[in-house]
Amino acid sequence: MIVRVLDIGIAGLLLGGIYALIAVGLTLQYGVARVLNIAHGEFIMIGAFITWSLYIIFGINPLLSLAICGPAIFTIGFLLYRTLFRRLRISSASPAAFEGSSMLACFGLLFIIQNLAILIWGADIKGYSYLAFPIRFWGQTFAANRLITLGFALAIGLIFYFFLTWSRLGKAIRAAAQDAAAAELMGINIDQVLALCFGFGALMAGLGGTLLSMSYKIQPTMGLEYTVIALIVIVLGGLGSIPGSFIGGLLLGLVGSIVTYIQPGLSLVAYYLLFMLLLLAKPTGILGK
Amino acid sequence: MLQVSDIDTYYGNIQALWGVSLRIDEAEIVALVGANGAGKTTLLNTVSGLLHPASGRIEFCGKRIDGMAAYAIVQLGMSHIPEGRRLFPDMSTRENLQLGAYPRRLWKHKEKTLEEVYKIFPILKEKESQLARTLSGGEQQMVAIGRGLMSMPRLCIIDEPSSGLAPVVVDEIFQIILRLRNEDIGIFLVEQNVQQTLEIADRAYVLENGRITLGGESKELLQQEVIRKAYLGL
Repeated sequence: MIVRVLDIGIAGLLLGGIYALIAVGLTLQYGVARVLNIAHGEFIMIGAFITWSLYIIFGINPLLSLAICGPAIFTIGFLLYRTLFRRLRISSASPAAFEGSSMLACFGLLFIIQNLAILIWGADIKGYSYLAFPIRFWGQTFAANRLITLGFALAIGLIFYFFLTWSRLGKAIRAAAQDAAAAELMGINIDQVLALCFGFGALMAGLGGTLLSMSYKIQPTMGLEYTVIALIVIVLGGLGSIPGSFIGGLLLGLVGSIVTYIQPGLSLVAYYLLFMLLLLAKPTGILGK
Repeated sequence: MLQVSDIDTYYGNIQALWGVSLRIDEAEIVALVGANGAGKTTLLNTVSGLLHPASGRIEFCGKRIDGMAAYAIVQLGMSHIPEGRRLFPDMSTRENLQLGAYPRRLWKHKEKTLEEVYKIFPILKEKESQLARTLSGGEQQMVAIGRGLMSMPRLCIIDEPSSGLAPVVVDEIFQIILRLRNEDIGIFLVEQNVQQTLEIADRAYVLENGRITLGGESKELLQQEVIRKAYLGL
């Protein structure tokens, strides 16, 4: 019994690490930059496919791809904010109007990115095998690639947390999240900081995609499911709370793993149920105010 | 030091300021009085770059600033302490103050500047690791002023520092404002508390319906019948 619980728990954390990473990314985009990025999952998909291509065509180690995908997808996100979303923000009459128009723009992005991916890579499911050998501990066996995925997700989350807590730019990001106008009065260039946040959000998604591709099958339409999961996690963790997103991600991973143990295939249903119960009982989330 | 000449500011299609002109010299306290909705905060926001005038000109230390973004104006030595304090609620006292020194040139010396600010507000050093939202109203106002001083400004714009504070705390805040003037910082002060404000200010302007209707030495304004009736209730 104890072994079973441990097994489910660790499997949940393995899944939750990825959820945490992509939810932190969405929190930066929605909680700070106010863009409800429905296309978040598409950045995950791009990260996964770039990693797949680099591995299959050039034989580049997927872990090395983290260092290639990260900066590339960060740049795409940063430029998207500087061009598209900055303009929308300036031309929107109110923050609420901006949320609406930026979400519609993200829907457009979703279709553009997804169709481009289908054109480039085709619509079929792809995958590769990397570090798929088993590792044993506590009497259980786990695939090495999943453990590496969890390790990297936790490390990236931790590094980012320290960056936000200690660095000058990190403090500016938190200030912008709490009161953008007051942050501007401190001499913080809000447009620049929000663009960086959007870029960092895309970066997290891209890294999540790279890590995902090491242990899961990928296809161009995979994005939306992850967007929905990230949305559920950021509500679960409390809108705008970065530690909340991280903890929420790990928690949702555990829920997924428990449900999968009882009835495989029902995990998405369970997520939605949890989401709706949460909206009714505590809409501010676990770390929300 | 600050010269505002004939500015018009709009909120969407609604004109809020009409041909406003004023000036503030070095190390001088200038008060702006007027009823609610007269446009006082709009005027302050236009000066500090949160809003941009449709016409007219604003110069600060010899530089034209009316088209500049607020974050860039801060770097020239103007600090705007907004109405309602606007602290970062989930950050500590210390982090709130540090952010006041965000421009790169100031960030390097922020620990030294912080010690200076703690000398003015010793209570803030005791509460430096407390989250801003858990501080009392008076302490929050001190953080707001301290944060404004962290950018080592030549001009401080202070919007309604006494709102919601107990009279004894208000006295303390006014004493601090006088002390800043004595350290050669110019002050542009908006206050509900007209009597007390005119007593500490060197000069004052009266804003009514978006227009400056009176201006002059505050001692003289205190004697004027119009002011005594409209703002002092005498």
